[in-house]
Amino acid sequence: MATEPIETAASLDQATLTALREGVAGVLAEQSSSTAVHAFVDGKRALDRDLWSHAASLGWLGFGIPEQYGGVGLGVSGLAILHAELGRQAAPGPYIPTLSAAQAIIDAGTESVRQAWLPRIAAGDISAAVPAAPATAALAWSGATVSGTIRCLGAPDAAFVLAQAGNAWVIVELAGAEVTAAPMWDRTRDVIDIRIQHAKPAAVLEDAAATGAALLRAMALAVAADSSGAARSITERTIAYMKSREQFGQPIAGFQALKHRAADLATKAAVIDEMVAHAVDRSDEPDADLWALLAKAEVTDACTVIATDCVQLHGGVGFTWDFDPHIFLKRARLNEVLVMSNPALRDRAAATLASITRAGRSALELAL
Amino acid sequence: MTILDTQHDLPAFRHAIRDWLADVVPPDWKARMARASNDEFIAFQRWWMAERSKVGLAIPHWPKEYGGAGLTLQHLIVIADEMARADAPQARLFTISLIHLPGTLFPHGTEAQKRRYLAGVANGDVWCQGFSEPNSGSDLASLRTRAVRDGDHYVINGQKIWSSNSMYADHCILLTRTDPDAPKHRGITYFIMDMRSPGVEVRPIRQANGRSEFGEIFLTDVRIPAENMIGRENNGWRVAQATLASERGVIAFEGAERQRYEVEAFYQRALAEDAPWLQDDQLRREFIGFLAEIQAGRRLLRQVLRESEAPDAAASVLPSIVKLSGTALRQRICSFMVRVAGIDGQAFAMLAEQPFGSPMFDFMSAFSGTIAGGTNEIMRNIIAERGLGMPRI
Repeated sequence: MATEPIETAASLDQATLTALREGVAGVLAEQSSSTAVHAFVDGKRALDRDLWSHAASLGWLGFGIPEQYGGVGLGVSGLAILHAELGRQAAPGPYIPTLSAAQAIIDAGTESVRQAWLPRIAAGDISAAVPAAPATAALAWSGATVSGTIRCLGAPDAAFVLAQAGNAWVIVELAGAEVTAAPMWDRTRDVIDIRIQHAKPAAVLEDAAATGAALLRAMALAVAADSSGAARSITERTIAYMKSREQFGQPIAGFQALKHRAADLATKAAVIDEMVAHAVDRSDEPDADLWALLAKAEVTDACTVIATDCVQLHGGVGFTWDFDPHIFLKRARLNEVLVMSNPALRDRAAATLASITRAGRSALELAL
Repeated sequence: MTILDTQHDLPAFRHAIRDWLADVVPPDWKARMARASNDEFIAFQRWWMAERSKVGLAIPHWPKEYGGAGLTLQHLIVIADEMARADAPQARLFTISLIHLPGTLFPHGTEAQKRRYLAGVANGDVWCQGFSEPNSGSDLASLRTRAVRDGDHYVINGQKIWSSNSMYADHCILLTRTDPDAPKHRGITYFIMDMRSPGVEVRPIRQANGRSEFGEIFLTDVRIPAENMIGRENNGWRVAQATLASERGVIAFEGAERQRYEVEAFYQRALAEDAPWLQDDQLRREFIGFLAEIQAGRRLLRQVLRESEAPDAAASVLPSIVKLSGTALRQRICSFMVRVAGIDGQAFAMLAEQPFGSPMFDFMSAFSGTIAGGTNEIMRNIIAERGLGMPRI
């Protein structure tokens, strides 16, 4: 099986990326406002479907997909922007599983597999499911069919699941499968249990190592970007609240004890943004996995710390269902455990660092 | 061909710097400095400045009409990058001379002051800064050292503190109070003071890390000629803003690059020795996390450098964010080194010959980052008030 390397978009200049970010942010601020997300969380609005159609019509779902497969070819930098902005607005929808599956197909799929699936993903015709923890979930492979039950990130109407089966990865269509929603505290994302019995895979990706690594890397980067956007957003929302909330005859934002915490949160948010940016910049380098996995561990941990403090800084209303902090905190906590546990990710990163160092290379090169 | 001849070709300039450093930096300089007396430290610093001067790199960033090479920020970044890579000595003794003095005199000094004082820097004049006072630290504008006009002189009485290398300084950039009745920012005047003037007494301050880099300056009826005033009388606070803004992040950038090499060397040694902490899940995971923070910090510093020449650079709080996060990270890295070193890390040593070779020295020294140059608490105020728009009450 020969996998053709694909030319990704040449590194996009900063102005293009900034314009892209502003475009996505503008649409999401309007479409996935706090009010809209609360209505969705309360089951009063199908915001996930509305957003998905906007995303499809605006080409967002093709950001990471090369033009020859119907995408926009913005590469990993475009994808990171999209995920960060979705996180910023706590937007509901199966973006992480669908777009990460697409990346794995781009990196490890044959030409015919790419042709079969990527254009439909880019067009928004289908969404995908992937194991919530891909390294530890696998289907049984009989040689002709696959069976098993796996917990996945993905919408209940996902068209297919990408999962490991024996020594390969398979794409299994879910039309006949038993799919059960597993409601999470984070209501902005769908987790499903998929039960497959003797299904014939629609496609097989034979290079298991490459597929697994590509999916892990794509999910890690997507989740990290989502958490970085969420962290910045809940920090900004909390500071705005502190400016409006008055106690002791003044806005509480004037109290130094609280200002210093806000400064720490903003500083942490700035640092984790750079961790995501670094992982993006290294995505074509031999140490890509190190930085993507490490970013996921560090950024999602930091986002939980930030969102936790934002609940506290809101005081009583932070503990209510009607305000935003709990939505971000729950999203942060789900992100923390997706992909792989953060300690395990750090161990993988450390093993990669050791092998790079033993080979006499540096993992810390950084252009000026 | 000299180094400066290559300045229009940045990669060639980088190679020329690299070759020069390979040639000039004594391989044993760290070991020597680890055991050096104060006099030996001063002599070594003067030697280093003289070597830089020989190749035109003493004051490379100054305009040519004042003896500099007129190099750009990009060149300074390359120099700092190569200095870090080569683990070359830092010109610590000359920080105020090289950065703060020109940063003040270029915008606010008279032509006579520039001619007279800038020329001395390349020849090794040491300058110190007389800003902080025992009762005016974070609240610098409350300073009380008095300057009273007496004919064509001012008479100075008061006390300055935390003045780096003041024990060895030839001159001091000094903030004084000339109008005690005006609002605190409007009664301050800025002077150049000859440190050999009668009435100037300097006492070194012994720091918690055992070294004495700071001095306390006692000023008793010190007479300063009125021509040594920088800017107008009572306009010193504005001039001081130029001093404080003069460091464009190159020093912090070089520090972060040096730390990258130090941490890498520490890790290589740990791998080679199969250090026990590598098998400790918690410590290993903590260490790998530092790498993400180190890279993030280096990226932020590159952003600071890029922003530093923008017209609105002074309004950015990014330098404060970088200082807050970078110095706290340094402290956590040093704390980690102390923990993994066990009892050996507690052995008294004042300077390391190898990266983190004296973990307690590095750990105790890390407070200079979190406290000096505006405490991290002041950084938090700046970030919150100027950056996040939180009200000042």
